[in-house]
Amino acid sequence: MSIYEILFWFLTIMAISSALGVILSRNPITSVLFLIVTFFAISGHYILLNAQFLAIVNIIVYAGAIMVLFLFVIMLMNLNADVEPQKGRLLQLAGVIAGGVLFLVILAALKSATVLPLEKTSSDIGLIKNLGRVLFTQFVLPFEISSVLFLSAMIGAIVIGKKEETKNPLTP
Amino acid sequence: MKAIIATTILGIIMMFAGIMAKEKKPLTTLATILLVILLGVNIWDLTNTSSLAPESLFNNMLRIDRYALWFNTLMTGCTLLYVLLVGREIQKVGEHVAEYFALIFFILCGVYLLSCYNNLLILFIGIEIMSIPQYILAGSDKRNLKSSEASLKYFLMGAFTTGILLMGITLLYGATGSFNIVSFSFLQSDHLNTLALAGILFIMMAFSFKVSAAPMHMWTPDVYDGSPTAFTAYMATIVKAAAFFAFLRLFQVSFGSLSSHWTFVLAIITAATLLVGNLTAVFQQSVKRMLAYSSIAQAGFMLFAILAVNAVAWQGIIIYAVAYSIATIGIFTVLMKLKDYTYDGFNGLAKKEPLLAFVSTIFLFSLAGIPLTAGFMAKYYVLQALIQQGSLLWLVIFGLLMASISVYYYFRVIIAMYFKQGAAELNSPVSGTDKFMLVFTCFLVILLGIFPQLLLGNI
Amino acid sequence: MRLLLTYSFSSLSSHIHAWLISSMGDGMAALVAEMVIVGISLIVFLVPLCFFLGYMERKVAAFMQLRLGPNRVGPKGSMQIVADTVKLLFKEGLTPTASDKFLFNLAPVIVVVTSMLVMAPIAFAKDFQIWDLSIGVLYVTSISSIAVIGILMAGWSSYNKYSLLGAMRSGAQIVSYELSIGLSILSVIVLTGSLKMSDIVMSQQNGWWIFKGHLPMWISFVIFVIASTAEINRAPFDLTEAEQELTAGFHTEYSGMKFAMFLLSEYINLFVVSAIAATLFLGGWMPFHIGHWELFNHIMDFIPSSIWFMGKTFFIIFIIMQFRWTFPRLRVDQLLTLEWKYLLPISMVNILLATLIAIMGWHF
Repeated sequence: MSIYEILFWFLTIMAISSALGVILSRNPITSVLFLIVTFFAISGHYILLNAQFLAIVNIIVYAGAIMVLFLFVIMLMNLNADVEPQKGRLLQLAGVIAGGVLFLVILAALKSATVLPLEKTSSDIGLIKNLGRVLFTQFVLPFEISSVLFLSAMIGAIVIGKKEETKNPLTP
Repeated sequence: MKAIIATTILGIIMMFAGIMAKEKKPLTTLATILLVILLGVNIWDLTNTSSLAPESLFNNMLRIDRYALWFNTLMTGCTLLYVLLVGREIQKVGEHVAEYFALIFFILCGVYLLSCYNNLLILFIGIEIMSIPQYILAGSDKRNLKSSEASLKYFLMGAFTTGILLMGITLLYGATGSFNIVSFSFLQSDHLNTLALAGILFIMMAFSFKVSAAPMHMWTPDVYDGSPTAFTAYMATIVKAAAFFAFLRLFQVSFGSLSSHWTFVLAIITAATLLVGNLTAVFQQSVKRMLAYSSIAQAGFMLFAILAVNAVAWQGIIIYAVAYSIATIGIFTVLMKLKDYTYDGFNGLAKKEPLLAFVSTIFLFSLAGIPLTAGFMAKYYVLQALIQQGSLLWLVIFGLLMASISVYYYFRVIIAMYFKQGAAELNSPVSGTDKFMLVFTCFLVILLGIFPQLLLGNI
Repeated sequence: MRLLLTYSFSSLSSHIHAWLISSMGDGMAALVAEMVIVGISLIVFLVPLCFFLGYMERKVAAFMQLRLGPNRVGPKGSMQIVADTVKLLFKEGLTPTASDKFLFNLAPVIVVVTSMLVMAPIAFAKDFQIWDLSIGVLYVTSISSIAVIGILMAGWSSYNKYSLLGAMRSGAQIVSYELSIGLSILSVIVLTGSLKMSDIVMSQQNGWWIFKGHLPMWISFVIFVIASTAEINRAPFDLTEAEQELTAGFHTEYSGMKFAMFLLSEYINLFVVSAIAATLFLGGWMPFHIGHWELFNHIMDFIPSSIWFMGKTFFIIFIIMQFRWTFPRLRVDQLLTLEWKYLLPISMVNILLATLIAIMGWHF
């Protein structure tokens, strides 16, 4: 086994087990921390694919900013295990069946899948210069149009977050 | 594609207008003017690309054809109609009127992207651009707990669906190595493997959510009911129509040759949608909620067009989108005038406001698919498309059966208005402009019902 | 003498590399051994550095307040910090009963590890760098943004209101000020055209960015220093551990070695932030040159690159330490107002200016 393979399997096991940790742990804080570990593992995979920029941005945006805000909110809300609504047996069973069927479908799909070979020429695509070039030529429309998405999200933050002045403070 | 750029710029203008404007009324006027400009830009686009050959833009990211341009123009027209009818109600929702209108412009940007996307990335971004403003609009009435609930519910479910959509896109990419929906590998059915099939299934599920088809319809009643009615009218019409157009585009243009693989699943979804939508609508007490379920039922009919996979389907979806949008916006406008949203709230409306009662009768006729209204023609075209497809006649019969059930709950409103005693209370007096606009909308419904060729002849 | 001046550290590292490969073979073992060597040398460098910074902090404080500062242990009190460390080493590391024990013990480790990881791309001297990765600057911002997770962990797991409040403040603070830091770094990147640390340093061969880039670079530099002071939770932005309100903020419950680790990471962060500022704006290890003054430039070249680097870094450290005794502590709302209403818009406009300069080629 080469170093590459060792790292690959290590990261894979880390990603999957911490992803399982996210959904299995009772404590929401632990869940978020597991999620952060998952992001790190995925970033590691990006580095293995020579996509260093993507790896680092993944860490900055997800682990560094979004997850911190998540932690923030969860810590302030002080969630406990007993506040969680208990699902009925029937609902749990339905969930298990639905999830199991989905799992089977994906498994069947992956089993007989013919995976396309990776393009050899694009192995340096993850480097920031190449990525930038591709983003501004081939993918310029999705890249630019996402700004509309972010703009509307920002407007949303203001519309929802700003205090509305009611004329009569007594009426709710 | 000038309209995409125009709508973004106009949205930003609208957003900044909020800083200048002291009152709300000029903002509505401004939004109307900007929408007229946008409609003009759309028509400009339409006349410029009159050639039949589709035009590819931005490295094949967009592929603009006649259907897409017509759809865009019509949806912009519907939005203009919507703002003219509902503009005053939007002012009442909250303080951030300029932002609401800006968000509507951004939704239109998403609609344009969805009508002419040629790449799954654009599909994804388009759906997101269309959805995120909706989550905000759903929760814009912050003093109302139900509105916040609707927003949160819609957001969580929508985010989850986005995950499913992305999963589907990923699987398709894994199978074909391409995001381009008309590329060679995408269209070849013998090249197919299960990875692609699973991807198609995932994407189908995600679309079913966006158009509120049966197993994924759970959010619809709560969201439509909880959101401010002014925005429900928009969500239930133009946005839904755009989702359908995108659905049709992907499943006809690129998965059309594989239809034998997915038709059965989608047929079951369609049947379930019709059944659930119509039967549940029967038991509703609130007209707003009934309209939410009726929008699920209508989605069932629009799914016919997707199942059909033929040229009539395009015409069917466009005329259905327009007919359904106009009628639904109309009936929501009437609903907003009333204080009480239950059936009892409509009691005796005919005596108090005969005009209001008359126009809502026409809108309900159209929704039920009574001849001489646009709704009839719309249903006619989608059914015809499905009959031409040939293999799903049972679904056609089932659809007709369900259409007859739908007559029951639409007519309950009419009966309440004309034959029941009571004093329907109005929220606000109906002004002359309102009356004129409602009659104009009504006129459109009938015009489209009698001369559908006015619209379809050009497409 | 000449040899000493032109000596490049790369020859030393390549000697070690060659020796390791010859003795261990070209495989995992050599790589692991190199990593261990790097790790040990980093720790050997960092611990005295932190001792010195601790001593310097006290002396600067004393200087600012017209006091003497530590003067009992060792010559001029220089051994005071060592004595303190020994004291901390022998103290009992308490873990509160109600705390989440695992996270409580993990938090200080994460904080220290993240601050040490940030050292990787820093160019200490000519050809002396642990890992010159192609996205060096982004790496620094990303890893330093992880430290806040450790702080939040510490605050939450302590099961103490003060700790939690301190951690919350820290979270809000770091997430906000990261934006300004990112933008001011970006303005340098726009001019350099590379994220690589060595490229950034090399681009300042004919002058440091703060001189070459005109006004936008000055603004970036000031914003960077302000924002990074906030990012490392130092006064006047030390709401995280505001003594009067929160006892000691997120590390209220920590004692002994675990507490020492927080202290350690604080000083490492101080060093790292200053080193980055020195690299980006003050030319890293590049000597100070003035236009065509050949003789002057030549004399400057004689000063070893590591001394240049350390000199610049400690200059910035000195400034940041002076902040502590110059400005009163901000309130939470003032803190957020400063970032969102002043620093962020300014840095956004500033980056546009920097881009303009880069496009027009007005820098020299």
